[in-house]
Parts: sequence; structure tokens; C-alpha cells
Amino acid sequence: MIHKTLSALGAAAIALTLSTPATAAEGGPTIDMIKERGSLLCTGHNGSYLGFAEVDDDGAWSGFDIEMCKALATAILGSPDALQIIPVSWAQRFPALQSGDIDVIIKVTGWTMSRDTELGLQYSRPYFIGPTNIMTRADLGVSTPEDLEGGVFCINAGTSIERIVADYMGARDISYEALNFEKPEELRAALYAGRCDALAGFGPFLAATRFNAPNPDDFVILDAVLALEPEGIVAREGDDSFIDVINWMMSALLMAEEAGITMDNVDEIRANPPSSSIERLLGVSPGVGERLGLSDDWAYNMIKAVGNYGEIYERTVGDDSVYKLPRGANRLWKNGGLLYPLVLD
Amino acid sequence: MSDATLAPPPGDSRLAYLRRRLFSTWFDGIVTVVSGLALLWLITTVLSWALLDAVWSEENAEACKDAAGACWAVIDARGRLILFGLYPYEQHWRSALGCAIIIATMGLSCWPAMWGMWRLLGLWLAGFGSFVILLHGGVFGLEVVTSEQWGGLALTVFIFASVFVIGMPLAVVLALARRSNLPIISWMAAIFIDTVRSLPLLTILFAAAVVVPFVLPDWAQGTKLGRVIFGFALFYAAYQAEIIRAGIQSIPKGQEEAAQALGMTYRSTVLDIILPQAFRNTLPSTINQVVITFKETSIVTIIGFFEVTASASAAVGRGEWGAYYVEVYVFVALVYFIFVFGLSRYGAYLERRSRLSHV
Amino acid sequence: MLKIWRNRTLRGTLIQGLVLLGTVALFASFVLTARENLVSQGIATGFGFLERSTGWPINFSLIEVSDRSPYSRMLLAGFLNTIYVGLLGLAAATLTGLVVGMMRISSNLVLNILGTIFVETFRNVPLILQVIFWYALLTHLPPPRGAIDLAGVGFLSNRGLMLPAPALSAMDLAILALGLLGVLFSARRMGGTRSGLTWVLGLGALAALFTVLLLTGRAPDMPLVSIPELRGLRFVGGLTVKPEFAALLIAIMMFGGAYVAEIVRGGFLSVDRGRLEAAKALGLSSWQIMRFVHIPLAIRAMLPALTNQYIWLMKATTLGVAIGYPDYFMVVSTSINQSGQTIELLLLLMGGFLAINYVIGGIMNTINARLAIKGRS
Repeated sequence: MIHKTLSALGAAAIALTLSTPATAAEGGPTIDMIKERGSLLCTGHNGSYLGFAEVDDDGAWSGFDIEMCKALATAILGSPDALQIIPVSWAQRFPALQSGDIDVIIKVTGWTMSRDTELGLQYSRPYFIGPTNIMTRADLGVSTPEDLEGGVFCINAGTSIERIVADYMGARDISYEALNFEKPEELRAALYAGRCDALAGFGPFLAATRFNAPNPDDFVILDAVLALEPEGIVAREGDDSFIDVINWMMSALLMAEEAGITMDNVDEIRANPPSSSIERLLGVSPGVGERLGLSDDWAYNMIKAVGNYGEIYERTVGDDSVYKLPRGANRLWKNGGLLYPLVLD
Repeated sequence: MSDATLAPPPGDSRLAYLRRRLFSTWFDGIVTVVSGLALLWLITTVLSWALLDAVWSEENAEACKDAAGACWAVIDARGRLILFGLYPYEQHWRSALGCAIIIATMGLSCWPAMWGMWRLLGLWLAGFGSFVILLHGGVFGLEVVTSEQWGGLALTVFIFASVFVIGMPLAVVLALARRSNLPIISWMAAIFIDTVRSLPLLTILFAAAVVVPFVLPDWAQGTKLGRVIFGFALFYAAYQAEIIRAGIQSIPKGQEEAAQALGMTYRSTVLDIILPQAFRNTLPSTINQVVITFKETSIVTIIGFFEVTASASAAVGRGEWGAYYVEVYVFVALVYFIFVFGLSRYGAYLERRSRLSHV
Repeated sequence: MLKIWRNRTLRGTLIQGLVLLGTVALFASFVLTARENLVSQGIATGFGFLERSTGWPINFSLIEVSDRSPYSRMLLAGFLNTIYVGLLGLAAATLTGLVVGMMRISSNLVLNILGTIFVETFRNVPLILQVIFWYALLTHLPPPRGAIDLAGVGFLSNRGLMLPAPALSAMDLAILALGLLGVLFSARRMGGTRSGLTWVLGLGALAALFTVLLLTGRAPDMPLVSIPELRGLRFVGGLTVKPEFAALLIAIMMFGGAYVAEIVRGGFLSVDRGRLEAAKALGLSSWQIMRFVHIPLAIRAMLPALTNQYIWLMKATTLGVAIGYPDYFMVVSTSINQSGQTIELLLLLMGGFLAINYVIGGIMNTINARLAIKGRS
């Protein structure tokens, strides 16, 4: 009797397995939801996080993270406008994701163990790699973190920076006082006013904040690197196909840069692709979309709308922006950086 | 009573009145001189800072650095960001018009001729409905602007108006439930009201934004703004319910009994006898609660909405205008002041009016 | 069926049963949905995280905490911070309100005007805006190295107000506070003519206790009074009032003060003139009328409104999160982000505030019952 039941169950299991199509063409729950809604819900800030997500005088969002949101929206829905930026604070980003207020966190979110495991989050490959630095007031004459003994550090509340600073300073037995702010505006105002001696944070953000200061020369960024943080795009756990889409979106942006495909020449290259992998990337030969549950021209649309990774970088924080940040670790591997595309076969 | 002491006794000349109010004893005289100087100093300081020494237009941004007074140029440069937040720039007129409609609706409902349940209901449905259509768009060729992009004063006004529109009926229900003869119902209403009243509004809004989605199935979640407004409305309803209950208790029990004796139904007794009187008796407290609610809309800035307080911080958060935070906060404070002061004056007027009609 | 519906008692029972059932079902569905969501997203649940170390510090606490403290201790620190700023804020708002309220009812016209300006300015602007404003003002003071010198013993800078402090430990302070309570209590018990003597004796004993504690309870090489001095980036020694704390306190003091002033004014105006005239007819001096008739009657009229105002102000301390004062709400909010235990932490947050408010409500009701005129309800 038991045998019979077991074998029946086994047969059913096999039948089920076989009946599932080998190519996972459907997009998974998150993508289905996004398609049904017709827009991607992506993170903004409860204020301006300079360089990555800032509000201009007209009330429009811009910055590196926002461009990545646009890229993802274009990949899934075909248009960078199919996007809603939801302002959330640092502390609310995870609850907001878990509760479904947003589909994805693109908000320079460091890949840490507790977030990956306990919070039920799923990280993409790093889309931005940067150091955690300290910026201090120039008139203090400080050159190392040790000189900041007893100083006040301004830190964004609810970020991994809080823990990185505690670790770094604790290990070196440097006493300090942490002042945590929920809103980037309050944080910046406190720094500019001199309420704190130092601002600890993500290096590129510090550079942008310094640039934006009433007088940038009042501030210096110390050479010391507290930690190197790989920033990932975060989705809810248990939706592998969505993470696939995000990873391949990143990969496509990097591949486009490697192959020299830009916003301007993408049509030209699509008309006569130099290699078969580019043919696949731009959807000239089918397959690249179907396997992710997207249309075949998703990567083409995306590059057409926001450009390749390098273009996004230069436009938002690099040479074409006011901040002029060097690319550093965020260069392609062949230029000495840490970023590389995956193999598109 | 208070008015009686303030008015000059008959036959008191203006000079004698001033003398009595300013220099009745030598001690009073010293107090008058000292506090008078303080008042004078206050007035001149504020006047010269805000008006005489101020820089007014954006072109003069450089002049602000040397000016002794206020730099209103920052309002010139960032005013639209403060008032409209994230709303698309070309569509700002919709936001402005929507605000004007809601303000007009509020103004009209202060007019005693409009005080009837159906009239008020119609007025608010029309005003509120056209506000939402105007801001959200999607019809009449208006571009769709989702609520995530709403901001500034329009968002403040929207939150306030929706809290009022949802909260008021809820409050009536809660107040009636708490006074109900059915023990379980009144007991449950009491627990609900007391619990909500002892929680900070911020925790309720936070729970609505962050926790409620966990406990609701997907189809019932709505948007974050919607949940926060609903949470806010519950909070308002808990306070307003106690006000209404006090109003009901101030009505002599005999009236209810008389209505019953006349064979009126519960519905008719409540709608025609109890509630109109309860509202009239508690108008001042209701207005007071409405004023508090308007001010408390500023708290949503903490949970990530770009209403007028948040967009004010955003306006000073960037380098160039960071030094002129006082001007921006004073400007926003004035915006609130106009609403709140106006409403509270109106409340005082109603109080006088009702006192006169009772005597 | 209709017959049952017409039967009032039966109908009542039926409605109540349905409502109760509906509520229970609603809550059950909440719990089930929450469980399902948490499990499907792989989020850990339960209160086990309270024992884990936080990994982040806070900058202001009445008890010793660091980044190695467990969540439970960090939450306790935040809770105490809320009570601390709340109680001080209530006291400050009450004093301000008393002064301004008296100005509003004074016969002096200029005082009237000043009082009215105060009330209308601070009552009609949202509290959070005031908090942000005061904070911006305080952080724009000069930096520590250019601090404003207050007669060489105190300093005012954008790091706060530094004051000299007697070298007393927290334990010593607690002993002194208990002593003060004891004096207060015995002075009340003695009452009448002997209360003055009790006061003198009690305060004398307290002063002696203070001296003994100051002389004995410290390391031998420590000075009696620690005076703040600039060392490196900061002031060392003395007592520091931080800008975050000060801004929140000032805002609560001004905003609450404006409301309390109106309550005080209302209380005094509500006293029946007939009673005051009766007191006058009995030959009481105007001071005696104030002390024994006007003030006691006014306080009775104020108490219910004051209770509500106190509870409101206590809840308003949550706005500290806007300027980085680590109150209970801010600690909970950061904990939620760092540990992900959203629901558990929110329950703790609400529980904490319910407890605070029930205690305030209880205390005020007791006072109210004590003060109530005997023989009247």
C-alpha cells in the first residue's frame, strides 16, 4: 500500500517536472506584478542624496541610482518613464521592500550578512563599489581617523555605515560620538553648520556633499578607507527570475560599454552588429529576452534610453556631471576596475 | 465674563482707561516700561530684519551675503520647490488650482448657510473630487501624476482634507458605539479610542506605512499614502469621537427619551435630534481639533512624504542657499500660520456667537 | 425571523456577537497573513534578537550603552531618553505656561500684548517645524574653538552648552532626588504651621548630604567641581547640554507653554467672581484671596485639560527623530532597519507609549481626586 502510494507520488513528481518547460519563460511574481501595474516602483530618498538621487529645483529626480531605476524600468517595460520613484528614508527601505511598497531597492545598499540572511533580502551583483570614507572640516587640521579622537561623527541613521564606523573606531580604540540623522538634509545641514567634526559615509557621496558645500575647500576627505563596500540592488528573497533580470541588466550595461555601444550609436550598431554576441545583446537574433521573460529588444531599449554603464556614470557623478568623480574601482576590468560583464551566450 | 473685565467701564475716558491698564500702581508702571521696551525692541528687530534690511529678488543672491536682514531671494529661487515639491514642473498650475479649490471648500463650509448634513456632504464631495481629478489627472486630457509625485502645499492640504473627510464619519460611528447600550460594542469602542489616543501619531503613521502591508493581503494594501491617510484618520477619529461624545452628553437625557416616547426611530433620533445639537455644542472643540490636525500633517515628513515641511528642508539642504534656513522656515511657518490662525480666529468667533445665542 | 429582529435584547446580543466574531476573525486573518508573508520572504521572527549586540552606538544616554550593548539595553536607553526629555519638557512648558498665562490675564496692557504674541506665534506653527528651526539655530552657533565664553566656567558652542558640574555620580544624584522627595512628603504630612520648620530642617539635611557625597564619593585627585575645558576637538569635563536635546526641549517648552498658558488663562477666568467677592467680604487680603481661593479653584478647573496636554506633549517627544535625538522612537526605528524585526519592535514601541501614558493619566487622576472639593462630584 505504502509502496503504491510512494510510486504514484514519484510518478506524479516526474510528470510535473517534465511538464514544466525547460526555459523559464515566465517572469516570476515581481515581474508579473510590474508588468500588470505598468510601472516599476523604485527607491528615491526622503531628501537629496547627492549624486545618486537628488531633487532639483523643479522637483525632478536625478542621479546614478535613479538612472539605474530607469534602466531597469526600460528593460522590463520598454520605457524609462514607466517608473515611479517612491521617496523612502534609509531606515524604511527594507520594510518598504518587504511590504511591497517598492519592487526593488537601488539606493547604494551595502551587501552585509545580516541583511542577506535575516532580513530576507536577495542581492544582485554589485552595481557600484566604493569605499567608506571620512570627510572632515579642513580647519581641524586632521589627517588620520586617529586625530579625530573624541570628535563628533555625523552618520545616516539606519545604514551599514553606523556599524562600519563602530567597528573601525572600536578596533583602534578611538572614542567618538555618533550623531545619526534620518534625513540627508538634516545630516548635511548639521555638517555644514559644524555640528559634527566629520561625516562618515560612502566615498562618492562624500565627494558630492563636499562639492555641494557652501565652500568645498572647507572640507577634506581622509585617505583612510574604513571598509570597501560593494553596493547591490536588492529584491525580495525567493524571486530568482527577478534577480536574474537585474543581474543581466547590469551585465548588458557593462557589455555595451566594453563593446563601445552608446546611446547615440546603438541604432547604427544594431543595423550591422560586429559580432554574434552583440547581435544577441541587441535582440537582432532572438533569445536574449525570452529566457528572462522579457521582450527581445530589452537591452536595445535600455541602452537607447540611458546609455551604457560608463555613460550613466559620467552623466550623473563623473566628468559630465558637476561632481567629476574619478571612476576608480567602478571602471571596467580591462581598464583596471572591478566591474565585468558576464558571458552572453 | 472675560469680555466684561476687558471693556472700559462706562464713563471711562480713553486716557483714563490707558492709565488704568498701564500705570495703576508704581509697580505696574515699572512693569509697563520694562515690558514696553521689550515689545518695542521685538517689533523693531523683526521689522528691520524682515522688511527694511531684506533682500528680495533672486538676482541679488550675492547681496544676501552682506545684508543685515532677511534674504527673501531664497524664496524667490526655491519657492516653487517649497510649494509644489516633486510635482512635475509644467503641471504646477494644477497643484495650485487644486489647493485653491480645497481652501475655497474649507472656507465655504465655515459659512453658516452651508450647515446642513447634505449640503456639507455635497460641497465636500464636489470640492474634494475635483481636487483629486485635477491633481491625479488621467481624464480631460490631463497627464497622469501619481500620488508619489504630489508634494508641497497641495499634499499637505490633501492629507488634511482626506483625514477630515474619512475621520469625521468614523468619529460619529465611534462616539455612538461608545455610548451604545450594548456592552460589548461600547467596550470595544472605548478600548479602541483609549488605545489610539495614548499612542503618538508618528507611531501610528509609521505602522500604517511599514507594518500594515504585512498583515493585509495584497489586494487590500492600497498605496502608502492611502494607508498613512487612513491611519491618520483613525487617530483623528479617536479624538473627535470623544468631542462628539461630550457634545451628546451635554444634551439633556429627556430629549432622547421624549423622542423615543414620540415613536421616533433610533436613526431619526440620532440624525435629527442628537447629532445636530452635539455638533453645535462642540463646535469650538471641533475647530480646535481640526487646527491641531492641520498642524500635525507636518509629521508625515518623517515617514518620507514631500509635503511642505519636507520640501522646505529640501530647499535649504543644498549648498548655495543653506545659510538662509531661517528665511525658509519662517516662510513655511507663515504658510501654516495663515491657515491655523485663520481657523482658530473662526473658532473664537463661533464660540462668541454660540455664547450670545445661548444667553 | 422578523420576530427575532424585533426583539431588542435578542437583536442586541446578535449584533454584538457578530461584531465580536468579525473582530476576532479580522485579527486572526492579520496574524495569519503576517505569518505567511514573513515565512515566504524568509524573515526571522521572535524576540531572540533582543539579546544580540546592536553594532551601532547612540550619542546620548542616561545609562551606559555602546555598540556592543544588546538591543534590549539600547531600547531601554531610548525609552529613558524619551522619559527624560518628556518630563523636563513638561516641567518647562508648565512654568512657561504659568508665566505667560498670568501675563495674558494681567491687568497690564503691555503684558497682555506680549503674552498674546507669544501664544499666537508658538501655538500656530507645527511643533516639528519649531524643532527643526531651533536645531538649525543652535547648530549655527560658533564651533568649540570659537565658543562663546560664559564667565570662564561655561561655554556655548554648536556642540551645546557646557556647564561646570559637581563631581557626583548618577547614584549620588539618585540618593539626593530620593532625599528631596522625602522632604517634600514630610513637609506635606506635617502641614500647617510646622511645615516651615520641616522645610528648613529637611533642606538643611539635604545640603549636608550633598556635601558628604561630594567630598567622599569621588576619586581623590578629582576636583570638587568639574569645569569644562577645550581639549582637542571637544570640551572635556563638566556637564554638556547637547543641541539635539536642547532644541527638542526648547520647542516643547515654547509650544507646550503656549497651550498651557491658554489652559491657565481659562482656569483663572473660569473661577466664579462671586467666590472671589465673598472672600473679599470675609476680609481676606488680595494676596490671601489669590493664595487660598483663586489659585486652588483655578487649578481644579485646569487639571483635566492639563492632563490631556501633558499626554500630548509626552507623545510629541517622538519628533526628536527629525533632529537626531535618540529617543525611543528613533532607537526603535534604527533597530527595525538594522535587525529587520519590524513587527516585534513596533509592538514594543506601542507598548512603551501606552505604559507612559497610562502612568501620566493615573498620576493626574490621583491628583485630581485629591484636590477635588469634598462633598462635590
